Order: sequence, then structure tokens, then C-alpha cells
Amino acid sequence: MRKIVSAFTFMCVIVGLLAFGSLSLAADEIKIGIIDTYSGPPSSYALDVLDGFKLALNKINAGGGVLGKKITFVTRDDKFKVDLGLTAAKELIMRENVNILVGTINSAVTLAVSDLAQKEKVPFLVTYAKSSNITGAKGHKFVFSMNENTEMIGKAAAIGLAKRPFVNYWIAGDDYEYGHAVADAVWNHLKKLKPDVKLLGQSWWKVGEPDFTPYITSILSAKPDAAIVATGGAGCIPFLKAAKNTGFNEKVPFYMHTATELSTMKPLGLDAPEGVIGTSNYYFYYPETPENKVFVEEFKKAYGRDPSFGSLIGWFTANFIAKSYEKAGKVDAEKFAQALSGMTIDSPAGKLTVRQQDNQLMLPMFMGVTKKAPGYDFLIATDIVTIPAEELMPSIEDIKKVREK
Amino acid sequence: MDFSTTITLNGLIQQFLVGLSRTTILFIVSSGLSLVLGVLRIPNVAHGSLYMIGAFLCYSISTLFGAGSTGFWLAVILAPLGVALISLAAERGLFCHLYDREHLMLLLFTFALMLLCRDAVKIIWGSNYRSLSPPEILQGSLSILGMPFPKYNLFLLGAGPVVALGLWFLIHRTKIGKISRAAAVDRDMVGAVGINVSWVFASVFVIGCFLAGLGGALVAPTQNITQGMDHTIIMEAFLIVIIGGLGNVWGALLGALIFGLTDSIGILVWPQFSIVFPYAVVVIVLIFRPKGLLKATW
Amino acid sequence: MVERQNLVASGYSRLTWLAIGLGFLIILAVSPLFLPRFFTYLLALILITGLVTTSLNIALGFGGMYQFHHAVFYGVGAYTVALMLTKTSLPPALGFILGPIVSGILALVMGMICVRLSKLYFGMLQLSLGSLVWVLVFRWYSFTGGDDGLHGVPVPKLISSVSGSYYFTLIVTVICLILMYVILNAPFGRILQAIRDNPERSESVGVQVRLHQLVTQVIAGFFAGVAGVLFVTVEGSTFPDMMSWTLSLEFLIMCLLGGWFTFLGPMLGATIIVSLRTLLGGYTEYWTMVLAIILMLLIFFLPEGVLGYFEGLYRRRSASLAEDR
Repeated sequence: MRKIVSAFTFMCVIVGLLAFGSLSLAADEIKIGIIDTYSGPPSSYALDVLDGFKLALNKINAGGGVLGKKITFVTRDDKFKVDLGLTAAKELIMRENVNILVGTINSAVTLAVSDLAQKEKVPFLVTYAKSSNITGAKGHKFVFSMNENTEMIGKAAAIGLAKRPFVNYWIAGDDYEYGHAVADAVWNHLKKLKPDVKLLGQSWWKVGEPDFTPYITSILSAKPDAAIVATGGAGCIPFLKAAKNTGFNEKVPFYMHTATELSTMKPLGLDAPEGVIGTSNYYFYYPETPENKVFVEEFKKAYGRDPSFGSLIGWFTANFIAKSYEKAGKVDAEKFAQALSGMTIDSPAGKLTVRQQDNQLMLPMFMGVTKKAPGYDFLIATDIVTIPAEELMPSIEDIKKVREK
Repeated sequence: MDFSTTITLNGLIQQFLVGLSRTTILFIVSSGLSLVLGVLRIPNVAHGSLYMIGAFLCYSISTLFGAGSTGFWLAVILAPLGVALISLAAERGLFCHLYDREHLMLLLFTFALMLLCRDAVKIIWGSNYRSLSPPEILQGSLSILGMPFPKYNLFLLGAGPVVALGLWFLIHRTKIGKISRAAAVDRDMVGAVGINVSWVFASVFVIGCFLAGLGGALVAPTQNITQGMDHTIIMEAFLIVIIGGLGNVWGALLGALIFGLTDSIGILVWPQFSIVFPYAVVVIVLIFRPKGLLKATW
Repeated sequence: MVERQNLVASGYSRLTWLAIGLGFLIILAVSPLFLPRFFTYLLALILITGLVTTSLNIALGFGGMYQFHHAVFYGVGAYTVALMLTKTSLPPALGFILGPIVSGILALVMGMICVRLSKLYFGMLQLSLGSLVWVLVFRWYSFTGGDDGLHGVPVPKLISSVSGSYYFTLIVTVICLILMYVILNAPFGRILQAIRDNPERSESVGVQVRLHQLVTQVIAGFFAGVAGVLFVTVEGSTFPDMMSWTLSLEFLIMCLLGGWFTFLGPMLGATIIVSLRTLLGGYTEYWTMVLAIILMLLIFFLPEGVLGYFEGLYRRRSASLAEDR
């Protein structure tokens, strides 16, 4: 009998401890759930974001956290698949009880998770997906875009390209949402700014296209003044390679959004074509402000490589979260969302603001041209022109219009 | 969007040539798949993974030797051999116990192998993109009919027939080729004549996988070497083998030609829907000739 | 070689099985009351995946056809209902009914082309036809949403919450399972298994082999479509991945794991894989490697699947018991 009683007490203590443990855990930490693609080709971008995020978070926690609580995070790998991403998001919300969701690189996963975040009232900070629907047609008060979207890319590119003397264009790109969205955005804005531009034709290739040579030769045979290449992620590198091998860049100047980004230029080394026009939201070597230098140094010290735009996204996402909780004054989803909407922080890329009306981060864009430079074992962007965020944000009327639909 | 495009004859010829050089890679990879399928009856889903490993090995070996021309040529020879070695281990260790299983089991088994290879590649090479430049003499482009044509693609155009001839010689002129052709028709009979069928199978498997590795090594300088290469090629290779006739190496050549050319001509004719072209052609061929264009070996 | 057996060869009396089934059903019915929400959702996912794999197994295990691209029917069912709910103002119920019907029609069309062939050829042809469907869905932005898929599908309020969608899934799945069981035990199902075991002999005694196989394709496609509809109810989304060939292979693995010559084997396989994937996938990046190793061990040592293995054990024991008497 005594044995049974003691066993029973023992079990009660254990259960009580467990329950108390989980309670106390929940009380003094803020938990962030990160869903992203950590396997397969897109994982190099996702890891950049994660490292930037960790860098900022460590600093915040070392300084005592926010509201007296530490910020912790858990990651889930969606393998670039929507179903896995959705299940992971539900698991993070329902089982891990995360306060905030962060991710993902895949627009389809992002849109699906955003829908869930709205239903579950959990703030969701998007870190790499570029669909303009995220804060546009499908936007809501709990979803925040921490990076540029296809509309912004299009507007920025159109502003930059309109200043150049090209008239006859060719459009080519990835045959999926991102490619078409970027191409449409660039072309529509370009036509508005410079009505005499002409489109000679377009080519679309499937995602993961191994060899771009046939497309390039078909573009060359049309002899356009310039080409708009709307390819992203895995497609950039082989396209630039094929461009170099065919001498495409010497015959037809072309624009590609991520062409000048570190994530694209680094793997190509000195094999990248010169003279490619590209836009990016961040270079670790430009602008040479003290804030940027500090960030680059810290990142390099922690991870042994130069930070890419993804690293910066991770960095300011963590800072936005911390600042918003401070402003909100308590751990509450509604209060947090209200605080983050309209928030401004200092970053290596200057002051950044989350636009109140659509929760889209206002990021300036830099247009540059690839060039070999002494001291770098890869090509860097030169002749950099800054396009301020105010000029390239989608208009609020447009946002209202698409949301009403 | 408004657009109009005119197709010039020069453009068409150019596109045709580029399509042919793409066909080379497809042919090399799918002939290996077809060989394994025809003789061993293994629908090897992991074939694409071996192609990917070939590309990664080519990258590693050529950077090991200083990323120059010698490094590249050494890599093109050594990388497929490395893949062959891996496949020999897989055959002796795993597949040779499974020959009497159903195709479905073999399919799923190779799928498991594909998943395993994918994670192994991720562990060994990480998740960054890799890029390899062609050797010095094959960089840049030549002018053909007034259009630039990459020298490396020209090299691929030449490599295709060499591999095809080599395969023809192997299958029709060597002892192992004759035995394996016989084994494809009736493996018990071959065993009964006192030939060690097990080793014949092993060598055919290794040759097939060597071709996958060769395809991967040759394709390495034209694209970025990354995880996920396996996924894109394997479906295409299977479709090519099916329309060509299962197990028929010449069928693989014909299938690769059809697949590669409809793709590249489709790009010129109707760019927006070019992705649908090859798939549609495959379905049309199969509706009329469900067992493929050429005679299957079984 | 795997020992093949017919459906109701087990020794337990029907009553015992019924009691076990009912007990299990009651547990499933009350579990949302005390399970955390996430596990209720997970149960719904398991039921859906189990329904697809069971429908796949009608063609695979009982029909002897190499159903290599079953996910197409699953995806088409899901897309049909999602499109009906988002793009039209027709009553939602119509969409729920139309989903499986469209899948069934697609299965009929693809089946008419495929059943002329057998075994590996059948599978390969289905794979290429399925890929064409996938390409069309993937490519047709204005209609299917392309690679982004359709999200935030307005599922009726009553069945859109976690527990609401769970109960809807549970009821529909149980009804479908019963229907499939009845079909397989009807004369049709018995003929089908006879065709699987010996197509030539069946042909010679006057069975219309092709017709039976075609009908099987339609049945399997229809129930896969039902599962697709349920998926939309639970997740509120569809996307092209739902009809990718890798997903089809995963379904095959589940059948194999559970036992593809048993009725409930695929359900068991789905349970194991889905729960492992969800619970393990959160902790290790290398979940696919675990899956690969499980699969390899399975093919080497347990080719008849988990449930098949235990059934075999049971049969052997009762046979030896009978001998002793």
C-alpha cells in the first residue's frame, strides 16, 4: 500500500513539474516559429536569412531580451512544398504555441501560411517570398512583408530602364508566378514612363531549365535593343553562364533583378558576364556607411562570409520584432501587429519603415551594372543608382483596388 | 501583351543545332537508363541521382586539380568512373539480391536510393550552388550563319555520336554485349549455358550508371550544379525511354531527338507554351504506339 | 514471392471484427474532445492520406495494376472543388460532389488509353499522361493559379474549423471505406482479384478483363478525388505538388509499408508515414533519409508489409493449430 502511495505521489510531482515547467517556459520567453526551405537549392538563401536573424537575436538576448523575456526560435523545413509548410505552420501554432511566424522563400507556401495566420491571428513576417499578392490582394493585418515584392522590382526597373536609350525589348523569364509577375510589372511601368517602347517577343522556360542556350539564340535572332530577363533563384546562375558563353551580354544589354546580388555573383566567381544591369536592395560594399560596415564586420566574424541581402532581411526582421514588442508593451498578437505596422528602424541600408496601409516594408532599390573589380574574386555592381523607396512602392489606391476584388 | 515574331531560316537552323546539342545529354543519360531497364529490368529512379553525383564529382575533381583545362578533362574521365564505382557497390551489395522481385518493388527500392543519394549529396557538398567553367579552348562562341554558337555546345554535338558509336560497338561487337542481349531475352537460358549471369548483370548495371555519370560530368559546365538536378532529368529520361521503346538503346536516341527538338523548336514557335510541347508529343506517340516507336527488348 | 490471398480469409468471426471496428470508431469520434488541436488536425490528415492510399490499393493490390501516378486523381479532385468554391457562386455542395466525379472521368479517359497495356507499360503510360495533366495545371495561371496554387478557399463555416473539418473527414472516410470494402467483396471485387492472379485464365473463361480494369480505374480515381476534396476542407488550399509524381511514389510506399494485399494495410502505412513525417520532420532535416532506410529494410525483410506480415503469422498459427487438432 505504501509503495502505491509513494509511487502515486512521485508521479504527481513529475506531472506537476512538467506542467509547471511548460508554464514557466511559456511565461518568460517569446517564441518565434521559422518555416523555410532548408533542403534543396533554395536553402542557401534560407540559411542566409537564418544567420542574419540569429546574429540580431543573440545581440537582443545578450542585452536582456524584450520586456524582460528572452526571444527563442524553432525552425521547420518545408522542403519547398506547400503541404509540408502548412503542416509545419499548424504544428508551430498549435503545438509549439509560437507567438510569431517567420518565413518563407516559396510564395505558394507563404500565401497558404498567410491565410492560416489570418485565421489563427498569429503575426506572420515574410522573409523572402516576392509575390506582390502577399501584401496586395491577399494582404491582411497579420501579414508583413520584410522584403521587396514583384511590383516594387518592376517599378524600380522601369524607372532605371526608362533613362536608358533602349526602345525594342525582348522579355524572357521563368515560366512561373515570379517570372510572369516581374515581367508584367516591369513592362507595364516601363510603358507608362516611356510610351514608345516596343516588345519584339518573349520566351518562357520551365523552372529548373538546365540549359539556356536555345533561348538565348532565339532572342539573338530577333535583334532587340535590350532584354528583360525575369528569372529568379536557381535560374540566375545558369542563365548568366549561358549569356557569357554565347557572348549575349556583349550583343544585347539585359536587365535581371537579382543579377548584381551577392547570392548570384559569388558562386559564378570571375566567370560572370560583365555589363549586366541588375537591381538589388542591398550590397555589403555599398553604401559605405558606418552602420553597414559594423554589420558586415559582425556578420563576417560570426559566420565567416560576407552578408547577402538575405542576411540583412533576417537581421532587421529580428530587430523589427524586438522593437514592436517594446512598443506594444506586452506579448499580444493584436498589439504586436498594431505596433509593427508603421514602425521605423535604423538598418545598415538606412532607415526602414513598414508602410502602415499594407504592411509592406519600404525598401530602397539600387540599380547597378556588373563589373570585375580589383580585390574581389567575383563581380560587383558599379555605377550604382539609388531609387528611393517612395518612388517604387505600389500606390495605396492600387492596393485598395485589388483587395476589394 | 503585344508581340510579333518572325522566324527566319537561319534562326531555325540555329535552334535546331542547339536542340541537337541538348539532345546529346538526354541521349547519354537515357541510353544508360534504357540499358539497365532492358537487361536488368530495373526501372532505376536513382539514375538521375547518379547523374547529379557525376556533376558534383566533376566539379570537385576539376577544382582539386586547379580548375584548369587539365583538371576538367581529368574530371570528365574520373567522375563517371567514380559513379561507376558507387553503382558497382550498390549492385553487389543491394540489387543482386533483388532481381527476382517485382518491378514495383524495384521501382520503390531505387526511389529509396534516390532519397538517400539526395541527402548524401547535401551532407557532402552542402546546399550552395556550384559552377564550373568549360576548359579554355571551349570557352566563348563561334559564329555560325551569323549567330553566336557556344563552342562547348559544339563539343557536345561531337560527343553524342562518339558515345552512340561506342555503345553500338559494345552491344554488337563485344562478348559482354552479346551475352547481355541474350540475357535480356531469356536469362535462364544464358545461365544454363554456364555463363555467370550475375556478373554480366553487374557489368551492364555499371555501364548504364557510368553513362549517367558521364552525362552529369558533361553537363556540369553548362549549368549550375545543385541539388534537384536529379529531379528534372529523371522524368525526362523516363519519358524518352518510354517513347523510344523500353530497353532499346536506339530508341533512346530517337526519343531524345524527338524530346530535345520539340522542346527547342517549340521555344521558337510558341514560346509561352513550349513547356507543354514535349509532354504532348510523348502522349501522342504513346496513344498510337503504346509500346514505343522502336521494338522493345522485352 | 509474396503469398497472395483474398480479402476475407481471416479467421476471426465477423462479429469480433465489427466490435473492434466500432470501438475504434468511437475512440476516433471522441478524441477531439480531449486531444490538443494539432493532433486532431493530424488525425484528419492521416485519414485523408489513408483514404487515397486505400483507393490506390484497389487498383494496385486488388487489381494488380501498376498505379504509378495516383496523385493526379487526388489533385484533380482537390482542384475541382477549390475552383468551384473560389470562381463560381454555385452552391458549395455541388463542388463537393463534382470533385470526385471529375476525378472519376479523368480516370476513365486515362484508363481507356492505359488498360490496353499491362504491368510496367501500364505504369509508365499512366506516369506520362499524369505528367501532362500536371504540366497543364502548373502552366495555366489564369485558371489554376499556376505554381502558386489556390489558397484561402472559402470552405463552408460548419466544416472549416479544426474539429468541424475533422468530423467531416471522419464521416466521409468511414463511408468511403465501407463502400470500397463492399465493392471488393461483391462479385466484381472477386473477379478483379481473379484477374490479378491470372489474367490469361480469366480471359479464357470469358471475363472481360479490360472492362473490369477500366471500372477499377474509375472507382480508384473517384475515391482519390473524394480524398482531394477532404484535403481542401482541412487545409483550405490546393497546389500543383498535390499531383507530382514523387507524391505518387510516396503513396505507393505507404501501401507497401502497410501491406498491399490487405484492405486496411494502406491505412496503417499512411498512419505510420504521416505521423513520422510530421513528428520527426520537425526535429531532423534528414527525414527523407530515415524514410529511405525504412523503405529499404522493408523491401528486404518485410515485402508483404506490416499488416500483411501479421496476417501471415496469424494464418500460419491457426493452420498449425488446425493440424494439431
